[in-house]
Amino acid sequence: MTAVSAPLLQVRSVAKAFGGNRVLEDVSFQVEPGEIVGLLGPNGSGKSTLLNLVTGFERIDQGEVRFEDRRIDRLPAHRIVDRALGRTFQLPSMPTKMSVIEVAMAAATAHHGFLDTLLGTRGARDAEVRARVEADALLKEFLLTPVRDLPSSALSGGQKKLLGIVCALMGKPRLLMLDEPTAGVHPNLRNDIVQALKRLNAQGMTIVIVEHDMHFIREVCSRCIVLDRGHIVASCRPDELSSNERVLQAYLGGGRAAAESEKVPA
Amino acid sequence: MSDFLISSFTIAGIYALMALGLNLQAGWSGLLNFGHIAFAGLGAYATGIVIQAGGSGWTGALVGVGLAMALGWAVARLGRQLGSDYWGIATLAIAEILRTVATNEGWLTGGAQGISAIPSLFDGLPRPWNAVAFLALVLAVVAVAALALRRVANGRFGRALRLMREEPQLAACMGYDLKSLKTRAIMAGAAVTALAGSLYAHYMSFAGPDYMVASETFLIWTMVMIGGLGNTAGVLVGVLLVQAAYSAVPFAKDFFGFGSDLAGALRLGLIGLILLACLLWRSEGLIPEKLRKIPA
Repeated sequence: MTAVSAPLLQVRSVAKAFGGNRVLEDVSFQVEPGEIVGLLGPNGSGKSTLLNLVTGFERIDQGEVRFEDRRIDRLPAHRIVDRALGRTFQLPSMPTKMSVIEVAMAAATAHHGFLDTLLGTRGARDAEVRARVEADALLKEFLLTPVRDLPSSALSGGQKKLLGIVCALMGKPRLLMLDEPTAGVHPNLRNDIVQALKRLNAQGMTIVIVEHDMHFIREVCSRCIVLDRGHIVASCRPDELSSNERVLQAYLGGGRAAAESEKVPA
Repeated sequence: MSDFLISSFTIAGIYALMALGLNLQAGWSGLLNFGHIAFAGLGAYATGIVIQAGGSGWTGALVGVGLAMALGWAVARLGRQLGSDYWGIATLAIAEILRTVATNEGWLTGGAQGISAIPSLFDGLPRPWNAVAFLALVLAVVAVAALALRRVANGRFGRALRLMREEPQLAACMGYDLKSLKTRAIMAGAAVTALAGSLYAHYMSFAGPDYMVASETFLIWTMVMIGGLGNTAGVLVGVLLVQAAYSAVPFAKDFFGFGSDLAGALRLGLIGLILLACLLWRSEGLIPEKLRKIPA
């Protein structure tokens, strides 16, 4: 895109196999600051694995991942989060013995140790207040204020996804990676998520979204990367998807005729 | 009678410290530590050995706490490659190894005879005030430990532990280093428990390998589970209840006129029964862990 700023995220020739199953082979792409990139592909194409590799939940076999031009592929997950790369999970599960606000507060950036907490140092107290204020503000933005004091496990699937996004944002990321943020989410809530993501992007947040829902992709994303059986088969604007033979091949296993009868965005 | 009550409460207080230490690990951090008693054993032996070598009780307690924290660190590091249940088995094994070492390294630990003649604290006071003073000391330490640990659990550090216990993946993607959290939780619990061991050595004027038998660990587990895993007040109630059952048995023995060996068996049977009843009807304990209120 712009030649001026360096890419935010660079994935270079990444490969990953589980046992003999080669899930990703020679995958390369980059994400520029300010983009919303959709990562799509049929089931088993390697989308979630790719997200796990970038965020350090899995180790890559080959290649490298750079974030803000520094290698992150050897870092453990928690160190990658500290570099301001936040993520959510496809099926977020939340703790039963912690309220929604507590979970959100746990995600605040400033971590304190045993002694800070025990002694209640000034820094720890201030950080606690800041975390609460920030968490309450984000819960409000993502419509979770009414459930603030409920056990977080009691939320609906969609609300858990929202809470997952809130937690990721508490870490003040410069890149946000979302794993199927709207799968199984009620249409009203889905719209709220769309609006929220657009708002975040308008404020300068770069977002990568793993998603199945083509309408969502078209609504939100500025660019799409399509994976099929471990390879990138397309990188294009969302409105170019339906005219891309390789994308159709990947999704429908057939040619144009099949495409017209199926639900591929025109 | 009052001597008996003072003694019962003193022992309950010492167990309460161990149970609070276990609750930090098992209740809030979800770590299945089945070798917990090893930390108390280190505290007791360090006190005995340091005093035997001419050191003070304070030095003994400090050395015990330091050693227990070092052991805690090692145990936590050992757990890095193991799943939580296998790690639990490893902790049991480590405690048994330490007990075996204590039994066999007679030059250091007095072997099976243990270390006796550890001075009790407050010897200068007349009877029964020495016992009362010791009880007061124990209760004060329990109160400080309970308040401090509850504060930790409700604060940012404890929140991280509780999140790790239930959703480790989520905790990792919030930037928490789970290994470090586990290590610190175990070390803190070890320190409190070693202090309890040190007090016990003073109270009994003795430190021996019997302090470290595995059934002691499970007794502490029973206290924590009956009271309420993850709830400080619950843990204290559990300790009191189990200690009450223990203390009641001698009276039952006199009343019904059965022998001492039966009384011992009855004690264990009674504890087992209470635990079973709790697991069946109140699986989260008498006072379960609650959601923490955070005012807006």
